[in-house]
Amino acid sequence: MCLHEGRKSRPAAKYMPNELDQTSVAISQPLEEMKVKRKKTRNYHNLHPVTNKIVSVLLGIFTLMCVFPFIYVIIISFTSEESIVRNGFEIIPKAWSIDAYHYLWNVKEQLFRSYGVTILVTIVGTIISVLMISFYSYAISRPQFKYRRFFTFLAFFTMLFSGGLVPTYIVVTQFLHLKNTIWALILPLAMNAFYIIIMRTFFLKSVPESILESARIDGASEWRIFFQIVFPLSLPGIATIALFSTLGYWNDWFTALLYIEEPKLVPLQSLLMKIEANLEFMRQNVEISIMQQSLFDTIPQDTAKMAMVVIATLPIAVSYPFFQKYFISGLTIGGVKE
Amino acid sequence: MKKRLGLLLALVLSIGTILSACTSKDSSTSEKDGKNGQPYEIKWYTIGTPQKDTDKVFAEVNKYLKKKINATVKMTQIDWGDWDQKSQVIINSGESFDITFTNGTKYVQNAQKGAFMAIDDLLNKEGKDLKQVIDPALLEGIKINGKVYGVPTNKEAARQSVYTFNKRLVDKYQFDITKVKTLEDLEPMLKVIKESEPTITPVATFKAYLPYDYIFNNELPFGFPLEGDRDHVINFFESDLAMQTYKTMHNYYKAGYLKEDAATSKDSWPMDVENWFVRMGDSAPYADLLWSRSAKYDVVSVPAEEPTTFNDSVSGAIQAISATSKNPKKAMEFLNLLNTDPYLRNLVDKGIEGVHYKKNDNGTIKDLPARVEKYNIPTYSIGNFYTLYLYDNDPKDKWDKFKEFNSAAKPAPTLGFHFNNDPVRSEIAAITNISKEFYPALATGSVDPEEYLPKYNKKLKEAGIDKVLKEIQKQFDEWKSKNK
Amino acid sequence: MKRFLRDIYINRIWLLMVLPGTIWLLLFSYLPMFGQVLAFKKFRIDPDGFFASVMNSEWVGLDNFKYLFSTNDAFIITRNTILYNLIFIVLGLIAAVTTAILLSELANKKLSKVYQTGMLFPHFISWVIGSYFVFTFLSSEHGLLNNILSWFHIDPISWYSDPKYWPFILVFISLWKGIGYGSIVYLAAIVGIDRTYYEAAMIDGASKWKQIKHVTLPMIKPLMIILTIMNLGRIFNSDFGLFFQVPRDSGALYPVTNVIDTFVYRGLMTLGDIGMSTAAGLYQSAVGFVLVIITNYIVRKIDEESALF
Repeated sequence: MCLHEGRKSRPAAKYMPNELDQTSVAISQPLEEMKVKRKKTRNYHNLHPVTNKIVSVLLGIFTLMCVFPFIYVIIISFTSEESIVRNGFEIIPKAWSIDAYHYLWNVKEQLFRSYGVTILVTIVGTIISVLMISFYSYAISRPQFKYRRFFTFLAFFTMLFSGGLVPTYIVVTQFLHLKNTIWALILPLAMNAFYIIIMRTFFLKSVPESILESARIDGASEWRIFFQIVFPLSLPGIATIALFSTLGYWNDWFTALLYIEEPKLVPLQSLLMKIEANLEFMRQNVEISIMQQSLFDTIPQDTAKMAMVVIATLPIAVSYPFFQKYFISGLTIGGVKE
Repeated sequence: MKKRLGLLLALVLSIGTILSACTSKDSSTSEKDGKNGQPYEIKWYTIGTPQKDTDKVFAEVNKYLKKKINATVKMTQIDWGDWDQKSQVIINSGESFDITFTNGTKYVQNAQKGAFMAIDDLLNKEGKDLKQVIDPALLEGIKINGKVYGVPTNKEAARQSVYTFNKRLVDKYQFDITKVKTLEDLEPMLKVIKESEPTITPVATFKAYLPYDYIFNNELPFGFPLEGDRDHVINFFESDLAMQTYKTMHNYYKAGYLKEDAATSKDSWPMDVENWFVRMGDSAPYADLLWSRSAKYDVVSVPAEEPTTFNDSVSGAIQAISATSKNPKKAMEFLNLLNTDPYLRNLVDKGIEGVHYKKNDNGTIKDLPARVEKYNIPTYSIGNFYTLYLYDNDPKDKWDKFKEFNSAAKPAPTLGFHFNNDPVRSEIAAITNISKEFYPALATGSVDPEEYLPKYNKKLKEAGIDKVLKEIQKQFDEWKSKNK
Repeated sequence: MKRFLRDIYINRIWLLMVLPGTIWLLLFSYLPMFGQVLAFKKFRIDPDGFFASVMNSEWVGLDNFKYLFSTNDAFIITRNTILYNLIFIVLGLIAAVTTAILLSELANKKLSKVYQTGMLFPHFISWVIGSYFVFTFLSSEHGLLNNILSWFHIDPISWYSDPKYWPFILVFISLWKGIGYGSIVYLAAIVGIDRTYYEAAMIDGASKWKQIKHVTLPMIKPLMIILTIMNLGRIFNSDFGLFFQVPRDSGALYPVTNVIDTFVYRGLMTLGDIGMSTAAGLYQSAVGFVLVIITNYIVRKIDEESALF
């Protein structure tokens, strides 16, 4: 979707300069900026102050609704187990306790290991993922690539049709022999057709051929073009995919359930899910749990579960701002002009 | 577009052939009975949280096994919550392993799919010692189409549903619980509790008991009456007994003896919280003792039925030999030893003497801290109970009582009969959904049965329940005539 | 043939770029696809491994699909699945885009960042925990909503037994969980819009609203269309946790909460049949695929560049 095709298909684009205007705007930009600065009173860069306040408040309320359950989870994790069984979950618990965290501290080896596994898998996985996806999407976004339609379809088809659990399991374990290795946690999630299509849209829009033409004329190789021009231009898109990838790896527990038996390789969310699933199992099989009482004294109850949610989510929530700067501050101003 | 799809298809097919070549090559190059006398490694999947000392204990186990049967065992435990999903994937993927834990419906489903080996011949040869010690009722009950597909754990074979009471309250109000035989008998006591004990919920939510032998479980409308005509399957939700029982339950619910969320509650009412008066459970010898110990206050039970041996109660824990096992004979030899040799059984179950437990002078044992922390295996899932060492606080005649319990039990009408649901799968899928829609609310008394039972039964009829009933009856009659 | 080889040579850089991804797709997506054939077979396990099992299982034609169509419930689950998904797609799009635009227009950038982070939290809450949380609101005994109702002297409602409120509850919860995550893509797209377009608009005297209407929206239109097409492809799939955990599997609510995925899950609990579950998946994929092809075709006719392929 290059600019020079835009004029025909977008009737509402009356405010978008056509190709010829581009250079003239570039030249006159500093002048315009000065004009805008002088007319500060009629500044349409921002919202009207009243609208701004209203929007702010509305967004604020919604954000509060989103954050509140999490705060609730934190409160529950500091409640005493007995209080929960008697009174259910309460906003202001009748009895506080740090038993849950105590339990977690007792299993800290397992916990630290799981943290380590998750962090490693997330970082390596995201890097591999972003690279693979970026290359793929970039190639299929270029009009010169003769087979781009085929490869787009190849990726997209997998979004709808998948092999199913058992066949995938067989490919990973019997064919690729990845069982109980860390690669079993990284590779199955590395590519995602959804991200590929999104990335392709970003590449199509933010990297029009016109820019690349000049670089090509200057003799730069496609690889150089990719790393020096394309990459910086598409940072918001790449940051989005990187974020999605990171979240995907961090939150994944199912892959470990299938492919990991070695306790040393169990990632964080998997640990959490195990505990949840074990609790569920005990609930539904009361006879077994009573017979094996000694076994289940050691399984933590709801409060510990919540405590695990807290420590599993906090790191990623805290790392989000790192990605955020690509979404707010707009690193791409003026990148189009040279 | 068509060209692209065609290309894709060709791609998939050619890859499929490559895959088949590779995987079949894989499975054929694995060791048979140890090349040149090497011990065969038995792969064993069982349930439970993986323990830290498993390797240590199994080093000892393997030392012993190498001498006795020239084999070693690699036990892999799969965690409780993961078990269902993971074991299903392992079995479906045709992975080559030897022994797996299984139970209940999963045992039946997998055996019918061909996942397990029929072990009748093996039992007569490599497993003849173990065949002698296992209660014959257990072996009868797990037969599918006349063949045995696994080694059941020798423990209690019968089930007896009981009403269990909080003894402190029983004593306080001097209830005479020996008079309790049915759900209705509970009423006067529930009334008193509701009026005088505000912190106690009279009924710890349970699903009302009906005296039927279920083909699947208590939710689906297929059962053989335990009393009366035991040879015909019926939709027991149409019976007067069901209507009456659910009406009683509904009255209790309206009177506030149950919690309001009874229909959807997932609360397991842990014994150690004293906030209930009566509950239901399945009893076994000395159950009250075990429960009282874990609750840390006394509970006392009254039977709701005679002890009966059901398909379910005999298949609580089974070790099955996989159809993909490379050396089923060795696997059976191991199971034979596990179930008859006290040294091996206790080694696998309790760990190493001196490290995980210590022996007392009178032959009983006491756990050491290392046992709970590092080697806590689910006893019920492994094998024969009767060869286990007793704890010093166990009653001396524990195992005798078990045997008594088992022999006193009456067999259920369908003991040994397992329905093959192939001809009516669609109907069952639909009926399962319908049952889940109505059963929980009806059985906990949350809705009025006068209104909902007819609705339920009508929907069942529309979903084809008659066809299923006919098919069950047909297969049952065939089975019965073959096993006269 | 020669021309083919020459084309390969010309496109070698691009082919090299798609190579790692393609290998992955072949291995992890296409290779397992042959398992779909199980939808047409009655699965029996063969001692020689999975492939032998598949080959030796008997063909049963469309038998495995019957249960998806044969009952009265079939209509209900299909209707529920489609209606909910349509609502989610439309409302989700509007909500995500609006939120993204509002967030990017907020004067206080710091506040915007804080809001953005906060909105993402629901994404981290699994449905199991989420359903507990909903329970604290809707529980008949101690639930917050019933408490509030009692202040206004309104009788408490037994939320988990009364179907009529649930479509709204489920839509609301679904939006709550998804807006934060869903708005990220649009935010990234908005940020990439060249500021000069806005300046040109302002020079022409356009108000904020006009700017949004004539610059922002058209610039993110391709993204909106593509995402919508992709979501339409999943029209027969549902978020299992939302429809199973949140209503706590309450039978009374099935008429409005039973979707294809929950029906399949419950129906196969006693059967454990891999052929039937594969059939369900294939059915969902096939319908989604057809829908995407049709929608893509229509979009291509209107605005060629916005189409998926």
